[in-house]
This record gives sequence, structure tokens and C-alpha cells, in this order.
Amino acid sequence: MTRIIVITSGKGGVGKTTCTANLGMALAKNNHRVVVIDSDFGLRNLDLLLGLENRIVYTALDVLAKECRMDQALVKDKRQPNLSLLPAAQSRNKESITPEQMKELIGELTSKHDFILIDCPAGIEMGFKNAIAAAKEAIVVTTPEISAVRDADRVIGLLEANDIKAMRLIINRIKPAMVQEDMMMSVQDVQDILAIPLVGVVPDDERVIVSTNKGEPLVLEESLSLAGLAFANIGRRLIGEKIPFLDLNAPHDHLFSRIRRMFRN
Amino acid sequence: MQQSAANALTPSSPEERASQTDSTKTPGGSTQLDDAPPENAPENAPETSSTQGSPHQTPSPTGSEETPAPIPANPNLQIQLKSEAGRLLLRLPPNPENSRSLVPWSDLWLQLKQRLNGGDRFWQPQTVVHLVAGDYLLDGRQLQTIAEALEEAQLQLKRVYTSRRQTAVAAATSGYSVEQESAVTLFSQASTVNGQALDDPLYLQTTIRSGVEIRHPGTVVILGDVNPGGSVIADGDILIWGHLRGIAHAGASGRSQCRIMALHMQPTQLRIADKVARAPETPPARYQPEVAYIGSDSIRIAIATEFSRVNLNRSFG
Repeated sequence: MTRIIVITSGKGGVGKTTCTANLGMALAKNNHRVVVIDSDFGLRNLDLLLGLENRIVYTALDVLAKECRMDQALVKDKRQPNLSLLPAAQSRNKESITPEQMKELIGELTSKHDFILIDCPAGIEMGFKNAIAAAKEAIVVTTPEISAVRDADRVIGLLEANDIKAMRLIINRIKPAMVQEDMMMSVQDVQDILAIPLVGVVPDDERVIVSTNKGEPLVLEESLSLAGLAFANIGRRLIGEKIPFLDLNAPHDHLFSRIRRMFRN
Repeated sequence: MQQSAANALTPSSPEERASQTDSTKTPGGSTQLDDAPPENAPENAPETSSTQGSPHQTPSPTGSEETPAPIPANPNLQIQLKSEAGRLLLRLPPNPENSRSLVPWSDLWLQLKQRLNGGDRFWQPQTVVHLVAGDYLLDGRQLQTIAEALEEAQLQLKRVYTSRRQTAVAAATSGYSVEQESAVTLFSQASTVNGQALDDPLYLQTTIRSGVEIRHPGTVVILGDVNPGGSVIADGDILIWGHLRGIAHAGASGRSQCRIMALHMQPTQLRIADKVARAPETPPARYQPEVAYIGSDSIRIAIATEFSRVNLNRSFG
């Protein structure tokens, strides 16, 4: 049974594409056949994060126009043969495809893959409707900022209305030191509002920028960074393993912060 | 009596809880928050408990009497689902010919899904639904979508009332029994007519998330949270059995004796009749069930248990 998961957030820039690339790679490393779909027509990025831009020949639109076969458009990852990418067209816009066509594309992919991850564009318009059309599950990505949480809340409502009830939450770019100082929303604060099951918390990490620019997902690193480890863990939680959440507070929980917290309470 | 109620605010911070600023709706309909320094608006200045000398409870809205009637929880902006003689009536908002509906199809569909998600516990399986479409124009595919959504909630669409010929044809083709009627009767009922009784309470078990708006010409009970960005607008009282973090507007058609009750009162904004209030900047140390009501011409908040002891007995006694 193929699992079709849309990765969405409402707000832009919270890390949907980073999550898609890393989760796709993490699942593929665990011997699952994964295809990641970029549904951000006109503003595609997923190929860059995977370092596959220069291998794209055909796009999803060419498949729909019957100009090529599906397997010609799929770009196999150079490092991880279990992972392939269905690229979006960069020269078109979101109205160039309909939800029905999206379902048709994904229908063609289900037989040969275990996981289909759909990278959803920001917003709740046509691009969003296309991305969620065929999905059975959703991963909602948010950052611990009030604006991102507000948009995530709206998106959760829309997903519910579209009968995507299996939703999970990733809280991205959290800064444990700031949370300790009460300057950032905590995981609990975000969960209080969104009230959907948490699948992972990813700490803010400068290496994400490096990995994006190099086109090498974090989970491919020899010695995993904290963020890379968080993504690898999310991948394993998705396939049902019970992995305890990383204790992100540990390095910041020194005597002074404890005393400060004591006084604050 | 009133004094004790007003003083019965959160013990740790009575001043903060009492200093709900209030303001009235400006005639243009926009709300103007009384955030200005006191000298700008002395009559609306935040009341502290020290000014609570007068023991009267009767609402005497001095500022609001000149303001025009506030906008009621206009049922024409939302689908309505209510039971009548064992079946459910699904009413669609009006969409007069040659004009755009206030509620486009995509919104209408969302509202229906949200409504069905929130209330599915209360219907017997296979309850019959009559769709009162009025002059809302529906094509065959849209009818089909409505029927599917209802089916998912184990409801059966049986009959369609419409005043549009195209809708009638589409419904007949899809095999529903159709009753075509003239356009006037269904939605001419203006809810602003004086002395009209409130609708039955609307009971929903759901989270009102950002972007969702519940409007109801009666009392609304929500079993769940109202998140920031969500709003509940009722002509009667509002009861939130959960966190109230969004906007609640009770007595939207002007009943200033309406109340807002929540287990955890942390609203973006509270509105009762034509009064508006924000939550205090500094939250109380501990949340407990509270009631917001209009007392001495501004919105005040009291702890629920204290409120019922002082106010409820009085109003019935």
C-alpha cells in the first residue's frame, strides 16, 4: 500500500521543501522506494535541494501532455537509487495543472513506490489544492512563530475539510536556548494550539543552508548534525518505529538557566 | 451585588482583569479599540473596581444608544443545518439571479464540511436531509458533491427545494425529488425584525481553527477550542467548553444581556452587542472558567462560579 503524504504549511519559508528532501532521502536510505513530487509549478526548488537540477529533462507537464513516459520524467537520485524526483515545470504557473491531473500523475506512480511525498507550495490557492488532491496523509510543517502557527492552523482546517484526517506536525527551526529564555514559543505552546500529533522537532541549524546550497540533504552526512538526526528520526517514526524525541534542551540546561527558570516561576 | 461580582476577578491580578478596555462600534461599522490614553476618552476609560459603587446590574449602555443597530449574526452568510420534524434541513445562503453570491461555492463547500465534522455525533445514521437551496445556483456536479459530503456523515439527501430552474433540472437528473418554488418566500425573512425569537442553540464538537467563522442566529455551544484567527458570532450567548483564543461576539443583533463563557478565557477580542474589549496585556497567573458580560456599560469578566452565585440567582430571583 503506497503512502501518499503531502508536506504543507500555509506560510512560505518554514522548511517544507527541506523537510521533503530530507524525509525522502531518509526513507529511501531505509530501503523504501520513494518518489518526491515538486508541486510548486513555476517556483520549483526541490530539485536544487536534492542536487538534481542538471539532470532534469522532462517535467510532470510533459508526462501529462504525453510527450514522454513517466519513467523518462522521473529523475533517479545519483546517491540513493531508491529515491526519485518528479520535477515540476519551471516555466509555467500553478494554473497549468488541475487536481484531476495531479491525481492521474500520482495514480501512475503508486504501483512502483512505497512512499510518495508531495512538496506543497506556500499558500492555500490552486497550488495547494493540486498538492492535496491525491494525498491520503499530511505532514504540517511550522516554525515556532505566531504567524507560521496561525497559517498552519488554517491549513489543518482545510485539510480536515478535504478529508485528510491523518495529519502530523513537524516543528522546524526551534532554538532551544531561546525557548529556555521564554523568548520563543515552545513545542508545547505550538501543540496547544494546533492539537495534532507531533512527529518531530527540528532544531535551527546553519548547516541546513550549506546543505541546501550544495544540494546534499542533511541526512546524507557521515556524522549527522542534530537537525540531520531529527530528520532521520522523523523518517523512522513515519514507518511506525517508536523513537524518543531528541532532548534539545540538554546543552542549554546548565546551572544558570535552571536558576533563572526557578526565579521566573 | 454588582460590586462583589466585579471584584470577583482573578485573585492574583484583579486590576488587570477588570481593566478591560471597551469601545463602541463606530457608525461605519469598523471597530475602534479604546487603546488611547485616558484623557482622549474619559467616558470609556477602563473602569477599575474602585469605581464600582453603583449596585445596579441592568445594562444601561449610554454610548451605544446612538450607534446604529449592530450587524446581527447574518445567517445569509453561512449554510445552516437544522433539524425539523426528524429530518435535517440544509439551507444555502441566497444567491439572487444576476448577482454574485456572498458565499462562493468553494466557501460553501468548506462550511458544509466543517459543519458536518462538528456535529456528526448528533445525528442518527441515515437521517434524511432536505436541501433548501433557495436561489443558490447549483449544477449537477455540485449537487453530487453535497450529496457525497452528506453521505460521509451518514446522511441521505432526498429532496431539493429550489427556485432556480437549472438547479431543479440538475437535481431531477440526479434523481432527487424536486420542489420548485418562487424566489421570494425562502430567504426574505429578515432576522432583524423586532421581537423575533432566537434560533435553537447550535452545538458543535470541533476546534474552530484560524479562518473558520461560525455564525448562528441563536446561542452557540462549542465543545473544543476557538483558536486565534477563528471567530464565533452569535445572536445569543456563547459557551466555549475549551480555550477561547479567537474572537467571540455574543448578542450580535444587539442583545446586551448576552454573555460569553469559556473554560479558558484568552480571547483575541470579546464583543457583546456593540461593545468591544481586548484581553488584558498581562495574562492572569492562572486561568479558570470565566464569564464575560456587560456591566456598567463595559465588558467585564468574572470568575464563573462567583458570577453564577451573584448574578444568576439575582436575575431569576
